[in-house]
Amino acid sequence: MSRAASEPPPAAQPTATASADAGAPPVVECDGVVRRFGKLTAVDGVTLHIPRGICYALLGPNGAGKTTLSRMIGAVLPRDGGALRVLGLDPGLEESEVKARLGVVLQENLFDDDLNVLRNLEIYGLFFWKRGPAFRAKVQELLRFVGLEEKEKMGINELSGGMKRRLMIARALLNDPELLILDEPTTGLDPQVRHAIWARLRQLKASGMTILLTTHYMDEAAQLADRVGILHKGNLIAEDRPDALVAKNLPRWVLEFDALEKPVCVEALEKNPDGARYERHGDRAFAFHADEAPLSGWIKQYDLRTALVRPSSLEDVFLKLTGRALDE
Amino acid sequence: MSDPANAPAPVLRAPAHAAGPRRPPAYRRVAAVWFRHVRVYGNFFVANATPAVFEPIFMLLAIGYGLGAYLNKHQFNNQQYAAYMAAGLLGVTCMYTAAFEAAYGTFIRLRFQKTYEGMIATPLTRRDIFLGELLWCGTKGALFSAIVGAVLCLFGHVRLPWGLAIPFVGFLCSAAFGGLSFVVTSFVNSMNHFQYYFTVVLTPMIFFSGLVFPVKDLPDGMKWVPLSLPLFHAIESFRLLVAGPAHASVPWAAWCPLILLGMCIALGALGVKRMMGRL
Repeated sequence: MSRAASEPPPAAQPTATASADAGAPPVVECDGVVRRFGKLTAVDGVTLHIPRGICYALLGPNGAGKTTLSRMIGAVLPRDGGALRVLGLDPGLEESEVKARLGVVLQENLFDDDLNVLRNLEIYGLFFWKRGPAFRAKVQELLRFVGLEEKEKMGINELSGGMKRRLMIARALLNDPELLILDEPTTGLDPQVRHAIWARLRQLKASGMTILLTTHYMDEAAQLADRVGILHKGNLIAEDRPDALVAKNLPRWVLEFDALEKPVCVEALEKNPDGARYERHGDRAFAFHADEAPLSGWIKQYDLRTALVRPSSLEDVFLKLTGRALDE
Repeated sequence: MSDPANAPAPVLRAPAHAAGPRRPPAYRRVAAVWFRHVRVYGNFFVANATPAVFEPIFMLLAIGYGLGAYLNKHQFNNQQYAAYMAAGLLGVTCMYTAAFEAAYGTFIRLRFQKTYEGMIATPLTRRDIFLGELLWCGTKGALFSAIVGAVLCLFGHVRLPWGLAIPFVGFLCSAAFGGLSFVVTSFVNSMNHFQYYFTVVLTPMIFFSGLVFPVKDLPDGMKWVPLSLPLFHAIESFRLLVAGPAHASVPWAAWCPLILLGMCIALGALGVKRMMGRL
């Protein structure tokens, strides 16, 4: 997290890619899109545009409408209102054609458990009517890319969770997609595997792939995203580059401490002394300030043992924008 | 994962926007679904075929010949009882084959294996998926009826060359029951609810469609019942093939294959539409 603040992901590269495709329309043009389930409005008029060659992260708490929105963009779920164009096509009218151009990594690893790795990829390829020598070469190339080249004869249930996830990514790339949609790609995986998957996704991005990522992990967004949109209760409540989102919403530094440790300190900081901004989420207390010095001063003044001064992060922004509502 | 730094980046072929549509045409998408089922369930073909093949044989031996020995001073549609049963056994085989596939099988793929959730993210549409399923149901019915037909032929209950058309009627019969089972599956929220379908809908159909006794022996007020059942028209169609028009249950039996085709299309269309709404 601190890494995101101290060395923001390079924004220069995607801009370069985008200018190379200056004439090309955005990959996703979403204007006032609405989706209801009975009385619940899951997506309530979202407008967002994803230019070619960037990684766009949709952040939001569980139930914010991330998956619903990505399923509408993925032409799987019809919308109830608004205008939507994916790769210049209307997913409602050209469902099959849109899907033929997308790569999708679903939240769950869904395979045919009775078939081995290779057969699974072959069957999936058939849904795009991809077969023959060129396709088989593609399969081998992708298995090498995700580090599963010696596992092609293995049964699905012999694979670890991380391997299954990597196989999902390989499978999503079989059809040379123009947009890769990843729904919580690293949820439930150990840190090593997460970093390895992020490395692969960064490689894809570097080769010009447009990526739409939904996640509730701020570190994932900070690692990969050129642009971040925060969804809350079906609305896009903020959108920008990750570093700009932090800079726009919060002072540069934050003091984070255990709110139960020193009630005196909480009382004092609640009054927002010296231009500080106090927030509390559960047991954690946060005081934001443009300068580091007063924050370090308070640590000494109140003798806070569990306190930490660090740069404000995407997670702080996320909590600020969506956290209060959770307390309601 | 091995060291990511060493992994070669995949070659991303620049997508050709001018190259026209990238989606496969609809018939290939449906074929792909069918082929997936052949690939996945082909491994278990022998296991799946066992009940469909052996049950009719046991019924033929125990009821057709065993019980039939006591009944053979009577004629059933101008036939001995075992010969009379042959057409019905073909019909029941196809009915159960399709019902298990499109009720339990489809429900498991929908709810537990989430097979369709993976498929719907590809160029396949909901219609492609369930048309492919229906095609698969029909294919299984064609195969299993062919096997049962071959066995019945050994017992001398199939006239040739008409018997060679058994798989076609088997396809129609299974596709019709596939459609009917789709309709049921589209309403069901728990697999336990299939008990109603199997016990209250399918089992009585066996008893009142001319497998056990000729429908002309039904009481006058009930004669319309078998005419409304797809299994009756399937069994009569099989009877036309294996025994010939001389042994038909109704004078207008020649229409039964057409009525079966009509029911197959109607039930198939309704079932696919219902399941499309369910996914």
